[in-house]
Amino acid sequence: MNDRHILRAFDRDLEGIQAMVMRMGGMVETAIMEAAEALESRDEEQAEKVRLNDKAIDALEERVNEDAARLIALRAPTASDLRTVLTVMKISASLERVGDYAKNMAKRANVLGQMPAVPGAGGAIRRMARTVTDMLSHALDAYIQRDTQLAEDVRVRDREVDQMYNALFREFLTHMMEDPRNITACMHLHFIAKNLERMGDHATAIAEQVIYLVTGTLPDDDRPKVENVTTVGVGES
Amino acid sequence: MNDMSRTETGVNLTDIKIAARKVQVHYGANHAIKDVDVDINDRMVTAFIGPSGCGKSTFLRCLNRMNDTIPVCRVEGEIRLDGDDIYDRRVDPVQLRAKVGMVFQKPNPFPKSIYDNVAYGPRIHGLTRSRAELDEVVETSLRRAALWGEVKDRLAAPGTGLSGGQQQRLCIARAVATSPEVLLMDEPCSALDPIATAQVEELIDELRSRFAVVIVTHSMQQAARVSQNTAFFHLGNLVEFGETSQVFTNPKDPRTESYITGRIG
Repeated sequence: MNDRHILRAFDRDLEGIQAMVMRMGGMVETAIMEAAEALESRDEEQAEKVRLNDKAIDALEERVNEDAARLIALRAPTASDLRTVLTVMKISASLERVGDYAKNMAKRANVLGQMPAVPGAGGAIRRMARTVTDMLSHALDAYIQRDTQLAEDVRVRDREVDQMYNALFREFLTHMMEDPRNITACMHLHFIAKNLERMGDHATAIAEQVIYLVTGTLPDDDRPKVENVTTVGVGES
Repeated sequence: MNDMSRTETGVNLTDIKIAARKVQVHYGANHAIKDVDVDINDRMVTAFIGPSGCGKSTFLRCLNRMNDTIPVCRVEGEIRLDGDDIYDRRVDPVQLRAKVGMVFQKPNPFPKSIYDNVAYGPRIHGLTRSRAELDEVVETSLRRAALWGEVKDRLAAPGTGLSGGQQQRLCIARAVATSPEVLLMDEPCSALDPIATAQVEELIDELRSRFAVVIVTHSMQQAARVSQNTAFFHLGNLVEFGETSQVFTNPKDPRTESYITGRIG
């Protein structure tokens, strides 16, 4: 297949939308890492920055949707062009959600800054954030390179994030049982961990969109799942 | 709805009206159609798409032996209508064309009245025995072509006095008047404005409840809108043939992809 349309404006429109999604991706990755760092170093200013930057991410998502709607109306895309437009809309929606989770993490970082630190939590959260950011960046690379193998790797890696979340869940539970004064902080930390786990799901969804874009079909849902967390009882920890 | 997939239409997949096998067409030294196999399903619209000169119109004209009129044209292979070879020596091409009707790119009504345009086929084929019966055929055909309401009060007026879209529907009425089993349409909307095009497309969708319809079109969006199956021709080869929804969302051949997405083919 040829890369270029006969009508070059079509290529420019498609490239414009894809460039916006990539810019969103970069901004979201930064937001996650900065929010995690703000949490670990108790840096209120940085947390505030993450919260403010989220507006720009939301605005980009809106523009992606507007431009995609215009492209569908004016250019009537078919086949891989159609799949590209559909994929781009889904990816930008996922990125927007991930941005919201990062903003929420920044908000909670500010609250946690006013409380005694839970030992080890900041580092563990940052490691989890690093894994999620990696997944996201690989999913977007897979999109750019139309690389289904890389996308498949991202899907498999989601398991790591699930395991990290389950480990943190147990840890926070232990802290809360040891000293009820930890409950408020641990509840916030738990929400952060849960949100990071959700971000991993969104990275996986993006990877699945890449597979759809390249092959025309979504992968079957046969990813290995980690045991359901609700079965992790108090007695076991 | 014409966008239903083949499985959803509930039509038996083995309900094949025309089966073409290893069809070759030569125009003198030019090998115009190379080894084409296609099944045309009954009560479905099959669209032929492809760039100019790809052979789609040539192939369409094989289906009712319109190529017989071109001396340098040679058709090989097998085309069966309901299992019978249409190129058999015992087949009368005129009778065949009553069964396999055709509508052309430019509306070409006869310089006669609206009534006589539609009555022409039934008259020469002797399909009716009385004036009343002929009146009925004319009315039914005009109704099927969604034209009756617009012309019922002026059936004696010349067909050439109608608007372009009405003339094309008159030609469709003329084609369906002989009760064909298959309707071939060679770019039937390329001379029409968008509203007349939409009316003809709506008509095509209704006609497929009775006939197999084969349409050649340069408008890929039209193929996507009206057909259930799409065949993509390129340089005389049939590159891809499949369900329209599949061909337009996930074509298998890179040449099809290049063509329908508007890249250089």
